[in-house]
Amino acid sequence: MPPLIRIQTEAFDSGDLLNSLAGAEAECGAVASFLGQVRGGKDLVALELEHYPGVTEQALARIASHAIRRWSLGQAMIIHRVGRMEIGAPIVFVGASAPHRRAALDAVSYMIDVLKTQAPFWKKEHLTTGSRWVETRADDDAAAAKWLNEKQDEIA
Amino acid sequence: MGTASEEIDQAGEITTTDALIAWLNARDEAGQALTHPSVRLIINDEIAPGCSVLKPGDTIAFCPPFSGG
Repeated sequence: MPPLIRIQTEAFDSGDLLNSLAGAEAECGAVASFLGQVRGGKDLVALELEHYPGVTEQALARIASHAIRRWSLGQAMIIHRVGRMEIGAPIVFVGASAPHRRAALDAVSYMIDVLKTQAPFWKKEHLTTGSRWVETRADDDAAAAKWLNEKQDEIA
Repeated sequence: MGTASEEIDQAGEITTTDALIAWLNARDEAGQALTHPSVRLIINDEIAPGCSVLKPGDTIAFCPPFSGG
């Protein structure tokens, strides 16, 4: 089954998304997910995300399709928002279903780790004092590299 | 530099992305920014792995580092 990829401005209900993964395939006893939300603190007022229409969708589809093949998933989904988001609002949901837990958990880790540095999104922080573009964090690069450096793990 | 997009008429002379960056550097001081290792290239709506061969009519986007999720 092809992955479900969605880029949207409106908020999503992570419970609905999780329920759509659960129970969809009888042979998949494991469902794992990751929900990313806007983190408050340090004068942050809101986040604003931009993407590269067409290219970003393709990058997400490639990441999720790879996860499906590598971990023999029943389903995989990546829902990512763009536009302005307030503190506590959902940004991204990544989910996977598989026959067993390890495959589902690893596939979700892979998808969110790789997405952060390999899919074209740009994040701006709106602070009480002004706004600034977010730079890639070294530990995000390291988390993605851990998956991408595995020989059998060519994304293409 | 400082523009969202422009057309460059150097068909046949610039054949790789490295050559394009060198050409932009020579023309424009701000072109130096494109040599930063964190700059990502998207060629004809495909993410490029690094220095790539160019052909006439290609569209090249120079992108700041990705920060999704």
